[in-house]
Amino acid sequence: MKINDYEVPEGLFYTKEHTWIKVEDDKCRVGITDYAQKALHEVVFVELPNVDSKVEHMKPAGTLESVKAVSDFFSPVSGDIIEVNTSLPDNPERVNETPYGDGWVAIIKPSNLDQELSALMDANKYGDFLKTIIEQK
Amino acid sequence: MKYNNGVYSLTLKTQLFQYHEKNSHLVDFADFKMPLWYEGVGPECLAVRNNVGIFDISHMGRTFVSGPDAEAFLNYVTTNNVTTLRSNHAQYTLLCNSEGGIKDDLVIFKLGDSQYLVVFNAGNREKDFNWIQKNSKDYKVELKEASNETAMISIQGPKALATVQKLTTTNLSETIRFDCMFAEISGKECILSRTGYTGEDGVEISIMNASVNDPSKAVELWEDILKAGKDYKIKPCGLGARDVLRLEAGMCLYGNDITESTNPSEARLGFVVKVDKGNFIGKEAIIRKKEDGIKIKRVGLRVIGKGIPRAKCKIIKNSENIGTITSGTYSPLLNLGIAMGYVPIEHSNEGNKVSIEVHGKLIDAEIVGFPFYDPKIYGVKRNS
Repeated sequence: MKINDYEVPEGLFYTKEHTWIKVEDDKCRVGITDYAQKALHEVVFVELPNVDSKVEHMKPAGTLESVKAVSDFFSPVSGDIIEVNTSLPDNPERVNETPYGDGWVAIIKPSNLDQELSALMDANKYGDFLKTIIEQK
Repeated sequence: MKYNNGVYSLTLKTQLFQYHEKNSHLVDFADFKMPLWYEGVGPECLAVRNNVGIFDISHMGRTFVSGPDAEAFLNYVTTNNVTTLRSNHAQYTLLCNSEGGIKDDLVIFKLGDSQYLVVFNAGNREKDFNWIQKNSKDYKVELKEASNETAMISIQGPKALATVQKLTTTNLSETIRFDCMFAEISGKECILSRTGYTGEDGVEISIMNASVNDPSKAVELWEDILKAGKDYKIKPCGLGARDVLRLEAGMCLYGNDITESTNPSEARLGFVVKVDKGNFIGKEAIIRKKEDGIKIKRVGLRVIGKGIPRAKCKIIKNSENIGTITSGTYSPLLNLGIAMGYVPIEHSNEGNKVSIEVHGKLIDAEIVGFPFYDPKIYGVKRNS
């Protein structure tokens, strides 16, 4: 679905920090949303979390920077980083081009998925959340 | 609370606010709602380096200084030598406090005998005006605060002069850098100068009688310049690009790189402090500091590899914190992180390798000179 200019694909879960998570069997792929990449604009630097490092639900796990702004990447779930998108440091613009595709950030082996997932938003709820943000502007 | 557009409000707007609101991503800056970017910081920076860009700089402070003592007065409150400034020329200079710290950096335009326009940084509009007014009591001068009655537009880049030339009969090819003059541009009475804050050649235009309450003249001129520059792919540029461009050129941002506690020599702005002229505010302190010896110096830092230094990042050498970044950004032109900061003199040599702490990690950087770009390819001294 689309909220104003912002793509919000069905089937993903979302955080209030504008990161998304896609459950792929026993692993989770994570990235930033279309709203987040449009707010940052021109991503020029991506600092990925380290493979094998532990991340926590809604804690920073990496950094994305545009020319003028710095944004922490908030992990939607806790777990171990088992893979990162190593193409991003050399091609940070991929986060802007396809935030839900080639612009993914990391793959996490979750440690507490069911409980943490219930605290996240589905596409409909995130869409409503975006609407309230847009109205406030 | 600020008085603007006939009302008191927390946010000021320039004459061109409606254009910015419609076309840009806005940002709060020095009490103003200003454009951060229109198309994007990257393409706007490149437009200025390769072609031409247009900036609304109406938020800057403008004060006219006139009267029989105008020259003596400006010599007393600023550090550069106003006596050597000829008519129709401009001068970069500093306002210092009595301890020799920098109150602001500014440009003085000499428009005629005993007739000057002084342009301050936006964030220092009230502070500067109050300061010079307070120090004007012994001089026969008239100070006219004109920030809200004039608008200011900057056109920068290798195609800036060609763009503006289409709108005026004043022959810009007969002017040199820092010349200034009254000129009619697109039928409007303006003060035109070959000045800017990007490192590129360009023109700054103050539009007379263009009040924030009646912005039509400013809006018309803005639109006319966009039309005149269309063939050169002119782009409106926001404060994001303005900050990157001035940093690429090695120019200071007041409040970041220079403050009330910065000595001009530390900031490498000693070239606009003329201690051999008469007395001026801060002179004794500046001389004393020089005799005691300058211990730190503003330097450029170029990142080796990836990472973007930002203001307040620590500069590290041999595990020791030797200084602090005062401005840092990503340069779309150079495709790397660039910064300026202060380090002890013994670490300030070009080529010296240091580390910068960014997000808790150390990244490698090299001390470099200004500008960051190759001056043979970009900027006012480019081989055209």
